[in-house]
Amino acid sequence: MSIVTDLLAKPGVIAAGEYAYRGDRFSYRGALSEEHARMASIMCRATTMSVNMEASMLESLEPLNGFMPPRGWLVHGPNYSVCVVANVFCLLDNSNSSINEVVGFMRQALANIPADMI
Amino acid sequence: MNMLDDLLKLPGAMAAFEFRGSGELLDHRIAHPDRINESVLDLLAHMCAANLSIATMQARGWEKVTGMEGFYPIKQFTLIGFDWSVVVSGLQRENYKQAGKFSLPPFTGVVMANEKADYEAAFAILERKEPVP
Repeated sequence: MSIVTDLLAKPGVIAAGEYAYRGDRFSYRGALSEEHARMASIMCRATTMSVNMEASMLESLEPLNGFMPPRGWLVHGPNYSVCVVANVFCLLDNSNSSINEVVGFMRQALANIPADMI
Repeated sequence: MNMLDDLLKLPGAMAAFEFRGSGELLDHRIAHPDRINESVLDLLAHMCAANLSIATMQARGWEKVTGMEGFYPIKQFTLIGFDWSVVVSGLQRENYKQAGKFSLPPFTGVVMANEKADYEAAFAILERKEPVP
């Protein structure tokens, strides 16, 4: 099974997808329109690129900290959360999802994804 | 008990800190001074202030465009690093705003080792309603 399929099987995951680091394509499954999924993938890619730049800068100024290379990020809102690890994103309904489980699963499943395309 | 002290009791917690919206580090606690220092926290505070602002802008825009509410206001932003994660929040400020206060408290954050990180426990402390003076 693909990681997107695995994520969609988890409680509270509304939609999940992948984007190319170079920004020329994306794919998704779940309860989002194509246009909204496109927007989500663009925002997720932009934030991923940004946190990678920031972590690189932090590493240059303070070497051997525990952030480099960054694995992902998470935005937690009142009802929904967005979780991104590597180039995979998912949208969560906070009322019936476990952030710890989703982050743990994504970190493990995507541990060997190369980041040299960033 | 101070929120920073409570954050430092989380599993794998390495440091807790407070910062202004401009990113300026205001206060901090460090559990492992051999692994993390004030200079790292200072840079992290600036990174987190920037990311919270961008995430807030994106949540606001997303809600307007999609009509899908429940992203704003951002409760926490988390950066998942290779070995460490940092969780930051400005939620206490929302309580002050709702109470009609113009002087807002600082943002708060915690750095945790990934292997022990309990994000939901960090969220619970950061969402705790502190009394508004």
